[in-house]
Amino acid sequence: MDIDHLIGRATALAGDAGTALLKQLQHVRVPGAGQASATDPPEVAARRWRAVTVLREPADVDAAGLPAPLAALGDRIEVRTTPAPGDRGTELAARYRGTPGEDEIGDLRAALREAKALLEVGEVLRVDPQPHGTRAATPQGAALEGAAKAAPRAGVL
Amino acid sequence: MRAATWAGVDEVSVETVPDPAILNDRDVILKVSRTTTCGSDLHLLGGYVPAMRAGDVLGHEFMGEVVEVGPGVRDRRVGDRVVVNSFIACGNCWYCRQELYSLCDNGNPNPGITEGLWGQSPGGCFGYSHAMGGFAGSHAEYVRVPYADVGSFVVPEEVGDDRALFASDAVSTGWMGADLAGTKPGDTVAVWGAGGVGQMAARAAMLLGAEQVVVIDRLTERLEQVRRHVGAEVVDYSTTDVMAELRERTGGRGPDVCIEAVGMEAHSTGVQGVYDQVKQQLRLQTDRPSAVREAIMACRKGGSVFVLGVFAGPVDKFPLGAAMNKGLTLRGAQVHGQRYMPRILGHMARGELTTEHLATHVMPLEDAPRGYRMFKDKEDGCVRAVFLPHG
Repeated sequence: MDIDHLIGRATALAGDAGTALLKQLQHVRVPGAGQASATDPPEVAARRWRAVTVLREPADVDAAGLPAPLAALGDRIEVRTTPAPGDRGTELAARYRGTPGEDEIGDLRAALREAKALLEVGEVLRVDPQPHGTRAATPQGAALEGAAKAAPRAGVL
Repeated sequence: MRAATWAGVDEVSVETVPDPAILNDRDVILKVSRTTTCGSDLHLLGGYVPAMRAGDVLGHEFMGEVVEVGPGVRDRRVGDRVVVNSFIACGNCWYCRQELYSLCDNGNPNPGITEGLWGQSPGGCFGYSHAMGGFAGSHAEYVRVPYADVGSFVVPEEVGDDRALFASDAVSTGWMGADLAGTKPGDTVAVWGAGGVGQMAARAAMLLGAEQVVVIDRLTERLEQVRRHVGAEVVDYSTTDVMAELRERTGGRGPDVCIEAVGMEAHSTGVQGVYDQVKQQLRLQTDRPSAVREAIMACRKGGSVFVLGVFAGPVDKFPLGAAMNKGLTLRGAQVHGQRYMPRILGHMARGELTTEHLATHVMPLEDAPRGYRMFKDKEDGCVRAVFLPHG
């Protein structure tokens, strides 16, 4: 195995590690910055409603006419809309009918965020491709790229 | 095109990168005429915000000429001379409608990183790491500006580039601190940090009616700028007991409003400074909060403390007891610049707000590595290095 192959393999593994690290970030409890309450068991967390608040009237966020990113998840999810208090618009919530895995929850996070953007702005903000200096791939750079690639599907939503 | 990129810790490289393109309907492409270093860039350079990839284009405080317009742009035209806020905001979400633009729900395409760190994600920022959206920065010949109708402002003819540039961030950040801290006519306002943001926070406090404004720093050139160009009082913390000085100047009460404009790499004297440096270098804390601590301790009972400096994580020895028992209002934010820029440009046009003195070192973009070195080391009295991408 030559050195280039080894570096390439290390880089690929680092990219995966970056993705995995970000997925776990919301579960990390830094000493001094932790939470006082208990954390949900995974099966409870997986079944929770995940919600975004959209600054549109409930009639505009009609569950029958779901934005494409949520519609693409089909009958695997259930969706509810509720008027938000204080003229904040509409709470748009969704959850899987079954018990989803982490990847499926990531799909739902991204779909909810994109649905909100489509309803509020009319399009989803893109960031790639951006002007960027070219560099040889490194494990550290790949880890960050992996984390950035996973970021739209990660987080606490 | 040519661009100044982050090349590693304390390394800036000017290199050829692809041109930006319109990616969303509400984008414009800007030909950058001026773009400046900001103190918060030093946190990126120093590796304290570990979400920069080598080759990322730096810069978030800039102005220029619109050269291309997306099909969904209503108010901007090719040829407009505009100054752009450093934060990217949609203008449509609840936060934007509350004029809390840096908290925009639709401005950061990478929300998972900051949600994990802070519980919720703020908006995106030009050239400020993949945690803040991964947008290319402005230290380049051209830059893409998303949501251009919301974040870019046409510069009045009578305002020159050297003045308008700083409406992008330094002035709008400073103004926000003075305003949201609740500065009222007759107040005494103390500002920690005499960089561009601190100076402009002081000037904004004066324009909002503060009776006495005091700026605290240790760099004599900057304190002299405060005296000459801002018209505020100064305190050199390296030679003066700041707490005693402020008590003496305020009849024992303490300032009504305390604005921190220093950030996570604050310097301080004595044991506290050594303690924070050691803990940060050993990565036992991410930020050095000495100016925030002092602001809380100095503030009068029932007063207001505003954190303008950039912080990233948990801090140590935070005087929460003082904040609670003195009944303080503690607030902070990244810049909601879109809220203030029209008013700021008006003040600039009337000559009430001048910023040309901040641009102590103006140079071609090719000299960006030198400019950042001077800015970081405060060499030759550098307050801001301003780059000219087109000469």
